[in-house]
Amino acid sequence: MSTTHEHSHAPIQDEDATSEFNVLETAIRELAVEKGLFSAEDHRRFLEWAESRGPAGGSRLVAKAWVDPGFKQRLLSNGTEACKEVGIDWNDPTGKGTPSDYTYFYVLENTPEVHNVIVCTLCSCYPRPVLGMSPAWYRTPNYRRRMVRQPREVLAEFGLDLPLDVAIRVHDSNQKSRFMVMPMRPDGTEGWGEEQLAAIVTRDTMIGVALPQADWKADRSPAETPRSAGR
Amino acid sequence: MGTRTPYDILMHSLPDAPASFERTLPDLDRTPAPWEGRVQATCECLSWCGTLDHLERRHAEDELGETVYARFPVHARSVLVTAHSLLDQGVISEEELEAKMKEVRSRFESA
Amino acid sequence: MTKFNVGDRVTVRDATSMFHTRTQMYVRGRTGVVVSHRPEWVIPEDEAWGRENGRKEPFYVVRFRQTDLWPSYAGSDVDTLETEESERWLMPAGKEEGQ
Repeated sequence: MSTTHEHSHAPIQDEDATSEFNVLETAIRELAVEKGLFSAEDHRRFLEWAESRGPAGGSRLVAKAWVDPGFKQRLLSNGTEACKEVGIDWNDPTGKGTPSDYTYFYVLENTPEVHNVIVCTLCSCYPRPVLGMSPAWYRTPNYRRRMVRQPREVLAEFGLDLPLDVAIRVHDSNQKSRFMVMPMRPDGTEGWGEEQLAAIVTRDTMIGVALPQADWKADRSPAETPRSAGR
Repeated sequence: MGTRTPYDILMHSLPDAPASFERTLPDLDRTPAPWEGRVQATCECLSWCGTLDHLERRHAEDELGETVYARFPVHARSVLVTAHSLLDQGVISEEELEAKMKEVRSRFESA
Repeated sequence: MTKFNVGDRVTVRDATSMFHTRTQMYVRGRTGVVVSHRPEWVIPEDEAWGRENGRKEPFYVVRFRQTDLWPSYAGSDVDTLETEESERWLMPAGKEEGQ
C-alpha cells in the first residue's frame, strides 16, 4: 500500500474537469441569484467565512491546550466558548452559526487508553469552524459506513494501527454536536512553543485517522498527514 | 424526495473521473479547487433560504452520487446534486442551465 | 427534568422509522450506557418539518460496546461507539417495547 502523502500535494490533473465543473458552479450560482433565491452578497458572506476556516484553527486549540492546563479544562468543558479565546466564533457568519454546523462544539481528548475518531453516518457533519472544509474521503459512504463497523480496518488504511488494549471510540455526530479530537502530545516536543506544536497538529490528527509526530516538518500544510503515523 | 433519472445536461457536458483502480480513502485526498469552496457557499445559501435543506442534499448526494452520477469524481457530487435538485424542483430548467453554461463558458474562454 | 442519569443502561427503541429521524438503524434495539447529557434541543422529527415551535427534549450521549452493535465485530472488545439520541428514543434497559 502506498505510504506517500504526495497525493495531497498533487496539482489538479485534469484541467478540463476543473473548468467544466467550474462552469457548472458559476452557472447555478448566477441563475440562483437571478431568480432571487439568495443574493450575491449572501454568497460572498458564506464564501468568505468558509475560506477563512482551515485546520489552523483546530491546531491552535490543541497546541494551546497542550501548554496551558487551564485552557485545556475550559476547552473540554465548553468547546464553543473556549474557541473564542483563539478568535473562532461558532455564531459566525450569521450570528446563529451556519445551517450545517450549529453551535455545540465538543473536544474529545485522547488518552493512553482511548483513541477517538469522528464520523457522521447520516450526512458527513464536520466541525468546519475549526477545521475548514472536510476532506472528500470523509464524505464518502465508504468512510461513513465502514468507520462505525470496522474502525480498525479504516484506520489501517490511513496507516494507523493501534494496539488492541487501546479502545477505539467512534463518535457518530448524528445530531447538532460537532466534534474534534485532541490528540496526545507526542514525545520529543518538550519545551516547544505553541506555534511549533500547532504545526504538527494536522487535520487528520484532529479527525482521528492519524497521530501527530514530532518530526513532522513545520512548512507542510496542516491538511497533510504522514502516512506512517501510529508505530 | 427528488428524481433518480440523471439530467442530460449534467451527464453530457461534464467529464468523467479518470478510469482507475480501486482507490483507497487516502487516495481521494486532494487540495480542493476554488470552485469547490464556492459550491459549499452556494449549498449554505440554498439551505439558509429554504430552497434545499442541507440534510436532504447530503442524502441525495449519497444516493445519486453512488448510482446515476457514479462516473463523476467524488468531489463533484455536491455541485452535480445541487444542480440536479434545482432542476427537480423546477427552480431552473435544463434549457436555462444549458444556455447559462454556454454563456459562462465563453466568458471564461475569452477572459 | 431528565429521565435518565449518567451511568444508566438504556436500550434504543425499535420504533417505526419516521421521516427525518436521526436515530440510526444500526442502534435500534441495542443497549448502551448514558455517558453525558446534552442541551434540550428541538427533536429532529419536528425540525425537519419546519415547525417553528418544535418539541424540545433532553438528549443523551449513549456509549455502546462495538461487540454489542455488530455480530461479527472484528476489532477489540474494548472498542466503543458514542452517539446522541433524544429521550423519546430511549427506554431503560431490560424493559420491553411499550413499557
